[in-house]
Amino acid sequence: MKNKIKIYRAMHDLTQEQLADKIGVSRQTVIAIENDKYLPSLGLAFKIANLFHVKVEDIFIYNKEDEYAK
Amino acid sequence: MYMNSKRYKQIRIFVAIFISITMSISVNLNSYLLGIIAVLVGMLFLTLVRSKTKITVDEREKTIREKAAQLTYAIFTPTIGIGSFILLIPSYSGLAVFSKGEFTYLESLGMIFAYLTLFLIAIYSLSYHFLNRKYGGGGNEE
Repeated sequence: MKNKIKIYRAMHDLTQEQLADKIGVSRQTVIAIENDKYLPSLGLAFKIANLFHVKVEDIFIYNKEDEYAK
Repeated sequence: MYMNSKRYKQIRIFVAIFISITMSISVNLNSYLLGIIAVLVGMLFLTLVRSKTKITVDEREKTIREKAAQLTYAIFTPTIGIGSFILLIPSYSGLAVFSKGEFTYLESLGMIFAYLTLFLIAIYSLSYHFLNRKYGGGGNEE
C-alpha cells in the first residue's frame, strides 16, 4: 500500500505535527504512515481523506504485488 | 480536557521521580510512613489525572501494545511450560537431577510454573472467547 500523504500535506501547507493534531494521532504515527511502515485503520484513513477533501483511494493506493510479496 | 499519551507519560515519569526521591529520603530517615504516604499520594494523583482528563491513545501505539502482548505471551508461556517440564520430569522418573538434596524446592517451583502455564493458557482462552464474541465471531447468523 502506497500513499500520497506527504504530497497532500505539502499542498495544504501542513507540518507533520499539525496533521497529527488534526487527526488525533502522534507525530510518530504520521511519520510511520508516510514511510509505509504502518497501515492506518479504516477510520483514520477516512479522517485523513476528509481532512484533505478527497477520496480515500486518492491518498492510499492499493498495490496487488504487496499482498503477494507477504 | 484532552491529553495525549505522551503528556500522560511525562506526568507519570514526574510522579515516578517524586516517589523515588521521597522513598530514598524515607529509607534514609528510616520512616516507613513517609514512603507509604509518598506511594499513596503518587497513586492518587495519577488516578485523579486519569479521571479528570480524557487520554487519547494513538492507534499505532495500541497496535504496538497488542503485538508486544502477543509476543510476550508467545515467549513467556512456552518458556515457563518447558521450565516446569524440566523441573518436574526428573523427579518422577527416578532421575532426580534437580530435585534432590538441597535442591528439593525446585520440584515445588516446577509445580508453580506448571500451574502458572495452565493459568496463562486459561486466561488466553477465556479472553479469546470473550473478544471473539464481542467482535461478531462465534454466531451462525447469515
